[in-house]
Amino acid sequence: MIDLKSTPHSLIENFSLMKGLLSTYGPDSFQVLREQAFRSFSEFGLPTTKDEEFKYLSLKALEDGRFAPAYGATIDRYQVEQTAVGQVDAITVTFVNGEYAPELSSAHLLPKGVFIGSIRDGLAAHEGSIVRHLGEIATLKGKLGTTNDERFVYLNTAYLTDGAFVYLPKGVSLELPVHILYLTSADHGPLVSFPRTLIVLEENSDAKVLETYLGIEGVYFTNAVTEVFLGESAILEHTRFQDEQIESVHIGVNAVHQGADSIYTSNNVTFGARIARNDVNVWLDGEHTETWLNGASVGFGHQAIDNHTRIDHAKPNCNSFEVYKTILGDHALGVFNGKIFVYEDAQKTDAKQTNKAILLSPTATINTKPQLEIFADDVKCTHGATIGQLREESLFYLQSRGIPKPEAQGLLVYAFAAEVLEKITIPTVRDILEKALFEKLKESQKLPDQDGE
Amino acid sequence: MLEIKNLHARVEDKEILRGIDLSVKAGETHAIMGPNGSGKSTLASVIAGKSGYEVTSGSVELNGLDLLEMEPAERAAAGVFLAFQYPVEIPGVTNTYFLRAALNNIRRSRGEHELSMSDFMKHIKSKVLLMDMENSLLSRSVNEGFSGGEKKRNEIFQMAVLEPSLAVLDETDSGLDIDALKVVANGVNALRSPDRAIVVVTHYQRLLNYIVPDYVHILMDGRIVKSGGKELAFELEEKGYGFVEEELASKA
Repeated sequence: MIDLKSTPHSLIENFSLMKGLLSTYGPDSFQVLREQAFRSFSEFGLPTTKDEEFKYLSLKALEDGRFAPAYGATIDRYQVEQTAVGQVDAITVTFVNGEYAPELSSAHLLPKGVFIGSIRDGLAAHEGSIVRHLGEIATLKGKLGTTNDERFVYLNTAYLTDGAFVYLPKGVSLELPVHILYLTSADHGPLVSFPRTLIVLEENSDAKVLETYLGIEGVYFTNAVTEVFLGESAILEHTRFQDEQIESVHIGVNAVHQGADSIYTSNNVTFGARIARNDVNVWLDGEHTETWLNGASVGFGHQAIDNHTRIDHAKPNCNSFEVYKTILGDHALGVFNGKIFVYEDAQKTDAKQTNKAILLSPTATINTKPQLEIFADDVKCTHGATIGQLREESLFYLQSRGIPKPEAQGLLVYAFAAEVLEKITIPTVRDILEKALFEKLKESQKLPDQDGE
Repeated sequence: MLEIKNLHARVEDKEILRGIDLSVKAGETHAIMGPNGSGKSTLASVIAGKSGYEVTSGSVELNGLDLLEMEPAERAAAGVFLAFQYPVEIPGVTNTYFLRAALNNIRRSRGEHELSMSDFMKHIKSKVLLMDMENSLLSRSVNEGFSGGEKKRNEIFQMAVLEPSLAVLDETDSGLDIDALKVVANGVNALRSPDRAIVVVTHYQRLLNYIVPDYVHILMDGRIVKSGGKELAFELEEKGYGFVEEELASKA
């Protein structure tokens, strides 16, 4: 670990600066959470590559950086509309540098009992639910694993201020998707923000949520934590799109608690940041759940993209399916670690995990580690990892139709990741992300024109 | 149109084609029949430029152009189309995007202007009707989740869109039930024209009931051992490939 107590570090120093301000926000229980989390973070410090969970990801940029506490920036609606996700038709909740931006959010008539907005505004009617779940879902306490590392959850919680809150009462099905948009613009020097999202879907409710992290300008550190609670038979399609500025650091933890018979789909799309780390942790707390984890990451230059997933099969008869794909060019570094824990009770677990990577240059690297720990005896668990080139027969097929080899290769690279985006069932979101993927690849790949589509 | 002379080709150390001579004129339809392992699919692959085959001697020309010197995409631009025996699934690329990229590349290399999205859509809608296909298929990924019959139908649809001068159909009948076979054959027949040549590679005579060839060639052991009119296909169907072997043996 990097000891942050002996040498002054902005991530520690900011706390005493902000303590007073933070304490005015939220109920007393928030202050308890903050204090505990700050103590834990100060104690453990920042991870280094000697720590198992960060073995391949150097966080030197964080260690060396000085990040001022985030403050609002001026971003107007036009600027937002010009971004990749600016045209998504959804109930939108926007934050700028961690601060709720009602002028960039949309007002909709919502079904009775539904809340979609900031945590701060949500506290009025839903304090009980917020206090019950916040911090309870992201914890790894009492869960299997010998290398559990919660430092970036501690850090986020230590600076707990605002974030998005989505609440669906029993039996409500939301027709429009929800878009939670976190914009960062560090136009006055490096800053750090701590977006916190809580999504609670009570029994039999059903929603689609797009959670976007988009960089507008500058060097910054986004430390995000999202907690998702799915009651019995609840259904959530949760697409997370991250396209931060190229010199920024993004470390996000997405923790999910699934009740019996619930269905959770995560589509995790990562394009941005100098260092991008995503943890998706799913705790299966009831029987007959279904979990789909889909991931697509694309990195060029000196980008590092680290995806860690863990699924805790704590109850019997649950199914999980996971497909993570990574495209890396130039000197980019990729990491995939997929943990599946099958607890002693979790008989009849069916877990499938696949991860695939395409390396477009000899200097790009990927480190892949499926990690299955199984303590039940009647289970089906499979995993497969491939790192490779494009399939020769697909390449020939495209060429035989008149598409020259470089374009055919580009098309297949695009298709490799686009296959993951096809899992998104909100058509506008799928189209927008396909376009974003296309643009991301266009610089390096010779892709056929797509205009008019 | 297509002139193949003394073509020898091998895969690794195994010689598969051992001296093929074939001349196909514009407007003609030729069937190449032969037992498994006779080299039919190899011939189709060599014409289209699939890697893994080494041509050791001979030539393949299309309208005077040396195909063997060209990349597969250049051959397509020159007018070659191969309908695959096993069409490849390309998840993540829609049929529309794929075909527009293909057609515009071909048009560009011929010095023709690219088709705008709306002109392109007009062009393919008529072909969709021709092949009796669902419109929704256009926005689906190339061949992904298609049944065997749908894949073959999609091959002929692509051929209709790209309008090649030489179409080589590699075992297009395999895996098709009779209804699908008729749709595919109708599609091919609709594309027969005085300035287009079609080479049908098949093991069975069945397809030739619907796509009636002008000439039939029997390929055995890497050589064309017998050529004739469409009646040769019926003779084969009746007597099996054994009769050709016997005939050859008696001549030897």
